[in-house]
Amino acid sequence: MLDIEPLLARVQKPARYAGGEWNAVRKDWDKAAVRVAFAFPDVYEVGMSYLGLQILYHLVNSREDALMERVFAPWVDMEGEMRRRGVPLFTLESRRPVRDFDILAFTLQYELTFTNVLNMLDLAGLPLRAAARGPGHPLVVAGGPCAFNPEPLADFVDLFVIGEGEEVLGELLDLYLELGGRRGDRQLFLRRAASIPGVYVPSLYRVLYRDDGAVSRVEPVAAGVPPRVTKRVVRRFDGAPFPTRPVVPYLGVVHDRGMLEIQRGCTRGCRFCQAGMIYRPVREKHPDTLLRQAAELIKNTGYEELSLVSLSTADYSRVRELVRSLLDSFEGMGVSVSLPSLRVDAFSVDLAREVQRVRRSTLTFAPEAGTQRLRDVINKGVTEEDLLGAAAAAFAAGWTAIKLYFMIGLPTETDEDLESIAALSRRVLARGKEMGVPPKRLKVTVSVSSFVPKSHTPFQWEPQAEMEELVRRQGYLRRRLREKGLEFRWHGAEASFLEAALARGDRRLGRALEEAWRLGCRFDGWSECFDFARWREAFARAGLDPACYAYRRYSYEDVLPWDHIDAGVSREYLIREHRRALAGLTTPDCREGRCPGCGLCPTLEIEPEIGG
Amino acid sequence: MPRYRVEYGKSGPARYISHLDLVRAFERAMRRAGLPLAFSRGFNPHPLISPGPPLPVGMEGERECLDVELVEELAPEEVQRRLSRELPAGLAVKSVRRVPAGAPALMAAVGRASYRVEMPLAEKAGEEEVRRCLQLLLEKQEVSVTRRREGREEKTVNIRPGIYRLCGRVEGGVLCLEMTLAVGDRLNVRPQEVINALAAFCPHLCAGGEPRVVRTGLFPVEAGGP
Repeated sequence: MLDIEPLLARVQKPARYAGGEWNAVRKDWDKAAVRVAFAFPDVYEVGMSYLGLQILYHLVNSREDALMERVFAPWVDMEGEMRRRGVPLFTLESRRPVRDFDILAFTLQYELTFTNVLNMLDLAGLPLRAAARGPGHPLVVAGGPCAFNPEPLADFVDLFVIGEGEEVLGELLDLYLELGGRRGDRQLFLRRAASIPGVYVPSLYRVLYRDDGAVSRVEPVAAGVPPRVTKRVVRRFDGAPFPTRPVVPYLGVVHDRGMLEIQRGCTRGCRFCQAGMIYRPVREKHPDTLLRQAAELIKNTGYEELSLVSLSTADYSRVRELVRSLLDSFEGMGVSVSLPSLRVDAFSVDLAREVQRVRRSTLTFAPEAGTQRLRDVINKGVTEEDLLGAAAAAFAAGWTAIKLYFMIGLPTETDEDLESIAALSRRVLARGKEMGVPPKRLKVTVSVSSFVPKSHTPFQWEPQAEMEELVRRQGYLRRRLREKGLEFRWHGAEASFLEAALARGDRRLGRALEEAWRLGCRFDGWSECFDFARWREAFARAGLDPACYAYRRYSYEDVLPWDHIDAGVSREYLIREHRRALAGLTTPDCREGRCPGCGLCPTLEIEPEIGG
Repeated sequence: MPRYRVEYGKSGPARYISHLDLVRAFERAMRRAGLPLAFSRGFNPHPLISPGPPLPVGMEGERECLDVELVEELAPEEVQRRLSRELPAGLAVKSVRRVPAGAPALMAAVGRASYRVEMPLAEKAGEEEVRRCLQLLLEKQEVSVTRRREGREEKTVNIRPGIYRLCGRVEGGVLCLEMTLAVGDRLNVRPQEVINALAAFCPHLCAGGEPRVVRTGLFPVEAGGP
């Protein structure tokens, strides 16, 4: 056990590193045959809000032969103390060095945490590159949504898990033990692992490039290695293991509440949304299962709030029945229920009004685009009437502030679409005035992010709008949103540009990542740390142009850097959806019974689980 | 509604729970324990838990206090029994007692805190010198410290009236101080301020290393305490 007490006295929020939380699992090190460190490459408060961590932590620690401990990216002050005193990266549970573990498992939730992955490897005392690591080092694995384009991290990670980790992680641990654990042959393990469905071992693939720099082919270099890796999906989701004894943080974290996952996947088919594609098919849990899990969760955590987690909670078929039963069963215990994502309609607001005993002042909606034309392009099935109806219902129910999320830089966007963002926002504000919301409290926040084309979506072929243009559009909106009661917020275009370059990058980008890390880039998703000049320098040193990645318009014939990763939806479907987008045609939700033919169900031999 | 005063210790990893987070940690533990918490009325009901004076993050507390109201009368031993099982590592209930209706709020009832400080001494400082420094400090009518808070002006405060008791001895090269200091809104004296003031008389005192400070108890203003 490392003595970290002197460090804790010198850093902000030492509870980030102290461990000892309620439900944290402390297993006997010597009795575990395989030891896994779960690494979240961002601060504790972000990582502890991530349900996937709790799920895998619960799963691995329920095995008798395994243990899992947690580690988060140390904030800049802690990193400084650690480097000054030579303290290596350690886990919270046993305060052991991460390098003593057998497996170091990262989750990749966001491209702008990639430099933190490198930094954590370095703080752990491990060589950054997989090729430089050997028998004395833990295996470095990674999963999560950003593993769907794993190439920028391919040089640093031994293996990626594509898709849902619940089953495949167990299979990997079994294989690891079967092959002799840490004493086993690493290369043999990787070879064998590569044949487990959903496992991608980048060192067993070769990338060939065309003269113009684009990828021409990605091919296995060994026999028995599949040319394409198909994502894993949990079947019989209702019976999937769920952590009803999650670790309860001390420190106020981003989502500091009990998380009840009511469904996985979303079938709305918004064309910019990667989550909507990679988490298919939609699977609901039975209300009885959920009531049982909710009761256990509250009993084991004491949380004052329960959040119904999913990509689109109001779409859960028996949502009204579920929330009523939950409210009944927690009556008098001071436990409230919350909905993390509201659909833009009066039904959702009504539902929120019913469940939200704790009334936060702001309600958030995401119409994403200003005109009906552009909302049809992105297949966001929302009309202006929906939004104004939702706003009216919210004001009538006593909410005084509304937050609207929009995206700029979407394919085919013109100034007219921007004009409409402003007009729509003003109409929402006007609705509030009409309904007698006190002017001092009435507020409409317009939050605008920049579109980032993501892999495995119908917009994967689209370029990102150029940075200068995004900045112009932000200015255009800012000038049109100057009014009492309106607040305009936007995301920095430089960070979105970098996100696009990393999201669409190929294997060569690893060089730029490493240079960026060497130049001191960390926590790139945090505006106080993000330093675009360093990134420019890093790309220059790596001899790469980030614009080639962010702004490239791919043709349907091009080989995409992530084409060897199969998210289950077919390429034909994505092309069809892309064409329909450009033609302004919408595609209905498959929940409504008309299959849009995304190809996932036949490919994965699975069916949606709806209606319990 | 029945009010209970919970006396507890805060040590180990729990030392790093901030004052604000601590109330939430207790609320959650009490809910797990199935204690019938009373809630405030209004839009955002919150449990009626009132903590004592904040303990600085990282400092150990041996006898800290908080008050909690329940909607049902339970024997204090029952409250203690149930709560003890549900507290995370480092938080431990020492006692629970019923607070009579109409008794002043906890924060109003506490005015003094006792501390134990252990700090390694520089070689040259001996028992004799330590005693002399303590004497010098206690003879003063005024001990001024300057407090700086972000975004506010500097403030000079005389802490001497808030030093109720101060004694010390040397054990194996370690200086052990015991002090009782004012705590609360009116006058609040931090142990580190007393250590700094002592160091002004005796530079050898602080050369050894970081002091370890433990808050050993909380007491009413009027009854002297230890």
